[in-house]
Order: sequence, then structure tokens, then C-alpha cells
Amino acid sequence: MPVLFDPAEQGKLSLDTPQAPWIDVGWIQGFTRKPGSKTSPVLTGIPAGTLEQVRETLEAQVSFQFLNWTKLTMALATGSQHMNLLVPASSAAAAADGAQAAPAVIPQSGSSAIFIALAATDAATFAPGSIIALDADYTGQTGFVGAPVAGAYVRQALTDVDYIRRVTFNVGLVSQVNSTGITLAEPLPGGIPAAGAKLQAVTGFVDREGGSFYQEWSALFVMQGSQGERIFFYYPRLQAMASAEEEVVPLDDKHEAGQSRVLLKGKFLALPVTDPLDGERVLCYRSFLPAPMALV
Amino acid sequence: MQNAKDSFYMALRTRLATINPERTVLLRGTVRPGILVEEAEAPFSQPPSDVFILRWLGLAVDMDLGSTMVAEECEIAYQTCGTQSYGGLDRGWALSEMDEELVAMLKPFYAPKLNYTATPPAAMLTQVFWDEPALGPIVVQRDRLNRSAKVMVYSYQEQGE
Repeated sequence: MPVLFDPAEQGKLSLDTPQAPWIDVGWIQGFTRKPGSKTSPVLTGIPAGTLEQVRETLEAQVSFQFLNWTKLTMALATGSQHMNLLVPASSAAAAADGAQAAPAVIPQSGSSAIFIALAATDAATFAPGSIIALDADYTGQTGFVGAPVAGAYVRQALTDVDYIRRVTFNVGLVSQVNSTGITLAEPLPGGIPAAGAKLQAVTGFVDREGGSFYQEWSALFVMQGSQGERIFFYYPRLQAMASAEEEVVPLDDKHEAGQSRVLLKGKFLALPVTDPLDGERVLCYRSFLPAPMALV
Repeated sequence: MQNAKDSFYMALRTRLATINPERTVLLRGTVRPGILVEEAEAPFSQPPSDVFILRWLGLAVDMDLGSTMVAEECEIAYQTCGTQSYGGLDRGWALSEMDEELVAMLKPFYAPKLNYTATPPAAMLTQVFWDEPALGPIVVQRDRLNRSAKVMVYSYQEQGE
């Protein structure tokens, strides 16, 4: 289900801490919109002249570069499934997307979105700076798996009990540890741990060139002017249409051989939704909130 | 930003003490590794020879990131007249030695960022990192050979900085 954005009600949202379920993914650059919709003339008369136009196809593309590497930006920018690298069990056989994981631990009652209560022995296995993934055990189901958004589509039953935690987006950074549990730097995207959810440590993230899974997102791009005006581009449905790609740019333009920044390039296809206002099928909503007291 | 400058200087100073323990300077009654920060010492009419002098120049800030990135340009100047025992005829050799020490001091191009206002210095969460040095040409000043190198030093601003 696309996430709704109402510029009239939510136009003043904080860009650093937007209202749930929106998540700030940071700054981007090179934002480019490429309309692909085709129109055709309806001709009449001799010689033929255009009586009116009809929209033949509906298509739009968006491309840009993320300045930050995070789980979300990496997952958004790639056209394939994105996974967590779970901390491996000791002596586990190597695997390209992470070896068999160390056993998961069970959150205790009293957990919240930002504090995970654990048995003292389990808490001691984490340290400030650890990354955790929290989700249910995989029990042989097929279809979409992962919370709060699906991280994969399972076509046939698998054997890895940790598979859902490998693909989940319910991850967080540990900021404090004590004998009663762990405190996270930010609340878990999935909120309070669901019954049956378990916790594993994560060392990093991995995606693959190829695969058949397409992640779909609702996106809101904001351009803020110096006088407080805002331009919003709201895409209810976006799917990555290119495989993972990076761009390396020097930090210092005058020293191109020096330190560089690696940008994540993303190219997306907008998919249509039906506007309940009048039943029209649309790809993007562009809205403008003028600066205070600016003439309109 | 001061933590990054302090950390860069202390990293180079620690490395120099290992690379060439004999390169020292007597400053305010104390013998120290032969590297100093110009802005942290009393002004000198003639910079000391056979010592690396760090001079902070430009500053740039990139605020479009999750953490603000700061870039500070550091000039590392050094000069030598050679040694008295060779009548200064070894000044080219002495400058080459300092060139090599400078390049060795800068590797690896990163160091932990510490807060030196705390005792003992407190480790911070990020690292200071820098570019390869851009070495300038030799400048001859009578019997003195001078060179300077410019290095762009990067760091991320942490909470409380």
C-alpha cells in the first residue's frame, strides 16, 4: 500500500524527523525527473488538424545520487533484494551472503521500540556500536516476508531459520548496553518487538546483482527555498529500474587523486495509482507551498 | 574542529618520534619531537630549522551529510641548512631526509580522533583522515632550503563539537 502524503496537512513536516511511516534518508544530489508519458493527437478534417490530444501511455523516471550509505539508501538504490550480514556462528562455512548465523536471542517482556529487554547473558553479547536485526524465525512460509516492510518474496520453502532476519528492515544501532538489555540510538522501524521476534547481531549489508525481487517504495522529495517555501515531489509508487551503480567523486575538486566520496546512484520507475478524488491514474504529485507573505 | 587539528598533529608527532627519534626540538625548556603547530607557539622571527611546522590555512564545511564534514587545509613547512660538521654541504641530503620523514609520517592517511582537553585524552567515535600531500618546490634562501607540503585534513563533527 502506498504511503499517503497530504501537502495541505503535512507540508510543514520536519525533514529530519518526519512523521511515521516516513523515514528520513538524508540528502541527495542530481535529482532529475524524466517524463516518459506519450500523447497522441486526435486528428480531424482534410487536411487533418489536431482536434485534441489523448494520453497514450503513462511513464515517468526519477534519478539521483544518495550522499550517504545506510541500509535504506543502499536498499533503495539497488534493483534487487537487500540483505543483512548476520554475525556468523563459530566455524560456520563461508557463504557469499553471510555464513550460518550465530543463534538468535529472545527479547524479554518490557521491550519497547528503543529498548530491548534481554537476559543478562544475552545482553552481554552486544556492545555499543553493534547493529541488530529483529524479526521472526523463518518457518517454511512462502510469499512476502519481513517487517515492517517486506524484504523478500519467498517462492519456495527454504531451510534457513534466520532468513527473515537476513532480509528484514527492522534494524537498529545499539547505543547502550546494561545487564537488563540494550538501548538503541533510534527506535526500531517496526516499533515494539512482536511476539515471537528474535534478535541477531549484524556486521553489515549485502545485495546481489541479479535476482527477481523488486522493492517498491513511496517517495517524497523536498526542495526547500531560502524563504521557507517548499516544493514537494510525491511519488506514491517507485521501483528501482537499474542495478546497483556507484559514482566516485573527489572530496577536493582541486585534488582529484585525493580522498573520494562514493555516491549511490539510483534510477527509478514511477508506477501509477488511481487518485480517489476523480479516478485519474497518476504517477507523481508536485506541490508548492509558498513562502510566508509571498505574492501568489 | 579543534579536536581534529589536535588529533592530526598528535598522530604525526607520535609517528615522527618512531620514524626518527633524533629529530627533536627544545621548546620552552622541553625536548620534544621535532614538529610543532605554529599557532600554538609564540611567534618566531625565523622559523626553526630541521623541524616540521604545521600551519592551518583554509576551511570548508559540507553540511549535506548525516554528520557535518569539515575539511581543513594544513601546510607543513620545513627547512634546513644542513649540518655544521659538513659546513652545510649536506643541506640537500638533509632536506631529502625530511621529505621522506614527512611522507612516512602521513601514512596511513587516517588516525583516531581524540579530545585532548580531557585527561587522559578521550577517544571519539570517528577518525581524522587526509589526502596525499601536495609537495611544493624547493625554495632557496641563501644557505637555507625550504619546502612546504599541503594536506587536506577531513573530519566529521560529532555531538557536542
